[in-house]
Parts: sequence; C-alpha cells; structure tokens
Amino acid sequence: MTEDALEYIRSQEEGVLQSDLWKALNIDSRKCSRIVAKLLKERLIIREAETINGIRTYRLHHTERLPPSGHRFEHLMVEDIFEPCAGCIEECIPQHCAKLSEWIFAIVLSQGPPEEGESLRKVEAARIQPV
Amino acid sequence: MVAIDELIHRAYLCKLVGEDGLMIVESMPEEEVTDEFLAEKTAISLNTVRRTLYLLYEHRLAIYRRKRDPDSGWLTYLWKLCPENLEKAMEAEARRLISKLDERLAYEKNNIFYACVAGCARFVFEEASEANFVCPFCEGSLEFLDNGKIVECIEQKMTGLESALQH
Repeated sequence: MTEDALEYIRSQEEGVLQSDLWKALNIDSRKCSRIVAKLLKERLIIREAETINGIRTYRLHHTERLPPSGHRFEHLMVEDIFEPCAGCIEECIPQHCAKLSEWIFAIVLSQGPPEEGESLRKVEAARIQPV
Repeated sequence: MVAIDELIHRAYLCKLVGEDGLMIVESMPEEEVTDEFLAEKTAISLNTVRRTLYLLYEHRLAIYRRKRDPDSGWLTYLWKLCPENLEKAMEAEARRLISKLDERLAYEKNNIFYACVAGCARFVFEEASEANFVCPFCEGSLEFLDNGKIVECIEQKMTGLESALQH
C-alpha cells in the first residue's frame, strides 16, 4: 500500500492533499497518516500545510517532482532540510552543536551511499561529543 | 493574500516560525491586519499568532503600526508582511552559517577523530587516547574515523554560500 501511495503522489503534478489521498486509495485516514509518516521519514515525499474550506491538511509532493531549486541560496538547504542555525536561539559552539552536526552529516549522506570501507554509517550514528 | 511561491522561502519561513507560522504567513493579506483577525482566520491560537508575528518582526519580515482608538484609548497593532525582505534575511542567514561552518571546518581539520565501533560517540584523539581507545559508554573499541568527506562537504557548502552572496 505504501508503494501505491507513493505512486499516486508521484502521478500528481500539483501534489495531492492528504485528505484526498486516503479517499483515492480507499483506505482510512489513520492508515493514510501512518503511510505518509513513513514516506516522510524516508524523504520520498515532502508536505506543505494547506487550509481547504477552513480545514487544515497537507499537500504532499513526491521529492522527484519538486521544482529544481536553482535558487541562489539553495546551499542553505540539504534536500528538504533547511540549515539549522536559522532562527536558532541556543548558545552555540559550532564544533559541538548536535543540530549542525546532523545537518552536516545529512550533506554527506545526500552525496550518495558510502563507498566500501568508508565508515560513514558509523559517523551518522555517532554522537559528536561524549555527554 | 501574500504568495510565498519559492520553495526555499517556504522552507526558511517554516524553519523560523514552524508549520503553523507558515500557515499564518500564507493567510496574511497584503493590507494591514490585527493578530485577532489572523487567529480567527486560521483557527490558530492567538499566542501562536503573536509569537509568529514577533519572530517575523525580529527578522524584518513583518512590520507593525500602532493605532489608538480615540474613544477607548486602546492600542491596536496592525501587522503587515514584508516578503520583499526575504532575500535580505536569507543573506544574513547565509553569512551567519558561513561563520559557523568556518569554525566547524577548522575543528574538523585540526583534529584526528576516533569513533566507537558501536556508534556511541565520536572523540578527538586526545580524548580517545585518555580513554585507552575504549568507549566510555559501551566499552567497545574506538577506531580511527576518516572525516575527509565531512571536510569536503563543509568546504563545498561554504563555497556555494559565498558565491551566492556575491550575486
């Protein structure tokens, strides 16, 4: 069913409202939410909040269908993750900031899977500094 | 309604004010409005609307004007979005990020790293050596960790951001 949902989202040029997706797939909204959460986690889709007739829902887009960024500040993003320092009010030591580290690792991982012998997965799982 | 079309602008606003905040932004008409109007229109709590507006104001993405009711003496705050400042706000973010990445890059370049084989944590050489290359969390062994790709990625990002600022 997850594949069907992904395929349906991919087929919709303008994206699809989550409130329409479960109807199109003939499943209940709770199951639809679980599928959407899984696809979001795997970064296969993104969602944007939208209000239809006063009811809040989300418009879902397949990540392949996103318009090419091409924006001069595209480097502030990695895939759909905006850089973590924007709006951050924490006192930060960039060397040890966990949020910045996570973002940097997302950059590394966005460049493809690790080559044989690389210990990238270990980095991904590692906390940056001992606690 | 003020349209926020660029995906990156939406992502930026979402990072600043969250998904509810983005919804508030997208509900703002071009003319001035009160926070109560927005709360009613979006069905989002007045507190969240006010928090969002002040965050936008801090980043110069919204302005307000105070108007005193001549009868009651009450002050009304009238808010207006400044989407024309989005690019400038992102320029400031890019500069801030470059400075943080620069500090991080020096740290990555000036240290040798070891990591727990079980993925508990990463340590600089001095810490790993003090711990006899044994993870203080799980007692697994600490192995050399090549951070070449991290350095490369930080440098690429910094170059991309610096070039964006020159345009």
